[in-house]
Amino acid sequence: MRKILAIFVAKLALWASRLLGYGGTDFPGRLARKIYPAILSDLAANIDEEIFIVTGTNGKTTTTNMIAAMIKEEGYTYVHNAAGANMMGGITTSFIEATNLMGTRHFDYALLEADEANVPLLIKEISPRVVLITNFFADQLDRFGELDHTINLIKDAVRGQDIELVLNADDPLVSHFQNETGLHCWYYGFDQTDYDSPSSTHNREGQFCVFCGHKLRYERYHYAQLGKYYCPECGNSNPRANFIAKNLRMSPAIQFEVNDMEIYSPYQGFYNAYNILAAVSLAKLVGMRDEAVQKAIAKYEPRAGRMEIFNIDSKKTILVLVKNATGFNQTLQMLSQDPASKNLFIALNDNAADGRDISWIWDVDFAFLADKHSRPQHYICSGQRSGDMALRIKYDGLPVDHIHISASLKDGILETLSLPGETAYILSSYTALFACRNILLKLQKQYGSPLTAEQQDQSMLTSS
Amino acid sequence: MKSFIIAYMYPDLMNLFADRGNIICLQKRMQWYGFPCKVQAVHIGTALSFDEVDMVFMGGGSDRGLKSIYGDLASRADDFKQAVEDQLPVLCIGNAYQLLGREYETAEGMQSGLNLCDFYTTLAQERMVGNIVLENSITGQKQFIVGFENHTGKTFLTDKASPFASVIKGYGNNGEDGSEGINYKNLVGTYLHGPLLPKNPHIADYFIQTMVQRRGIRTDWQHTLDDTIEWLAHEQIKSRVLKGR
Repeated sequence: MRKILAIFVAKLALWASRLLGYGGTDFPGRLARKIYPAILSDLAANIDEEIFIVTGTNGKTTTTNMIAAMIKEEGYTYVHNAAGANMMGGITTSFIEATNLMGTRHFDYALLEADEANVPLLIKEISPRVVLITNFFADQLDRFGELDHTINLIKDAVRGQDIELVLNADDPLVSHFQNETGLHCWYYGFDQTDYDSPSSTHNREGQFCVFCGHKLRYERYHYAQLGKYYCPECGNSNPRANFIAKNLRMSPAIQFEVNDMEIYSPYQGFYNAYNILAAVSLAKLVGMRDEAVQKAIAKYEPRAGRMEIFNIDSKKTILVLVKNATGFNQTLQMLSQDPASKNLFIALNDNAADGRDISWIWDVDFAFLADKHSRPQHYICSGQRSGDMALRIKYDGLPVDHIHISASLKDGILETLSLPGETAYILSSYTALFACRNILLKLQKQYGSPLTAEQQDQSMLTSS
Repeated sequence: MKSFIIAYMYPDLMNLFADRGNIICLQKRMQWYGFPCKVQAVHIGTALSFDEVDMVFMGGGSDRGLKSIYGDLASRADDFKQAVEDQLPVLCIGNAYQLLGREYETAEGMQSGLNLCDFYTTLAQERMVGNIVLENSITGQKQFIVGFENHTGKTFLTDKASPFASVIKGYGNNGEDGSEGINYKNLVGTYLHGPLLPKNPHIADYFIQTMVQRRGIRTDWQHTLDDTIEWLAHEQIKSRVLKGR
């Protein structure tokens, strides 16, 4: 009886919050859990085939959405926390939203994106077949303490469970899970690619051997700490990958082969190649058909803020979510490769969902832009921590009179769009993203025309 | 002029919360003031003579990072201690600060510190996290300092030690006695990330002036920098913290 009450109340709360225009979906689930604490394990029992959990620092949402597209392509039913609500409340909400009032509707699969710190809690209530871990980067450290602590929590949670792990063989912080948990692990990784480099400027977390603490040597880096490594002290090195991606091409689109299956995706960027490989590896492991996998990836389109293009008064305006140093650095690399003249707007907030500690912006490297011909002309800093952002840019040697501060998002965006330049890049941390997007949508409606098919093609670019 | 040298201790292992921003800040400001300045990265096993550097900086690391550097730093402890006595400017953040004391507690129990200063650190139940506002007179006049703290260590100074600043809002050393950090001669240890120096240009300049005076260079500091953005960032977070938002 309490179960039905919990479902009813949560569905009502969900309906009301949608009506009031709130995007947040954590609250209805939390409410239901208060009324009936076993709600999640009860509803998870309605999953007939398998439950998959995707976690890690970057690429969770994109990887999970791609797997969802594959399951859909195969014609199965599934529960999926699509809105990126990846805490216990949000995950519970997604089950409640999918089920009927009696809580008896069955689904083939459940596909859950989980915040790293929530994996241990989640595993207490449901039994997944697979946990997929994308990578570990320093991200919003203040919420969890330190990276090592997070990794240990997850290790402790999965140890001794009947779970298979799907792991990134190129990340030294992920790949050692086998030795330490004794679980069956499946690995994916990239073979040598044309985009590798012998050194990495943005590698802090994974430089040292997790077993003996000695500095790792790298034969090659794909990006950050991902690459082919070995420890000269104890011999620790990449595990042998079960799913090996070969012949990577990233232009004009991502193309590679995994164990003889050809993959094509309109996405851009090495980190997205990893997201695709992760999704494909899980699909292969659970026996999805190649055609369904290929088709789902080829037609997969990015979500809001994972790089969305607007056309405002014939200016190409690109919105990108930035949430940590790794993603931010990747975005700066990408925009420096765009030959168009451009201006850069950055909105930095420090609400809980952004991470209260914004120190990480000092791990973002703007200095390389200083002598790039294609660098942004002006830097407009906005959001609650606009001053910090401007300061960061100043100390990397960009001209101070080209750094502007505008606390109001709208004024800042308008200023950015009014400056001469073919393209405007709008970067935003999480809690300013939807406000920025709404401003851009309104402006596009007022001054813009919808994108042409050709522009639409280019808009398949993305960033994690 | 012979370049100023800042020894940056263990940049790979002790930079968990982007404390490298302090190094970027010091080097840029020295350059803007017209003093050539080099940063010398000191890794495990790198030769370092404290007599030949103008300042030492060490950021906070993970427990694993701290464990890896411990032996190396301990082997330099006597020279380090002598340099501190000789007025060398030193800035240590987070668990690098804890390391300077008599002892500090980790999940594995009590560890011996380098014993450069008279304080000790125990492990708290709850993590002390959040924006923090301090006040001190290290520059000769009372001024605010802003930053972000994130630590489980509770540090207690003995009667012989002086804090770096007093807490206006936040936890500080232990959340109990209103003290933050330690200041002994020209050594400063503090829990403040953020990073500390860019948003507190007066503290950055305190270190710069100390370095320059130690070299016996006479300057009247006529040449000031335009710190509009620095103080704006400082005020932005200060006013929010003081208003309790």
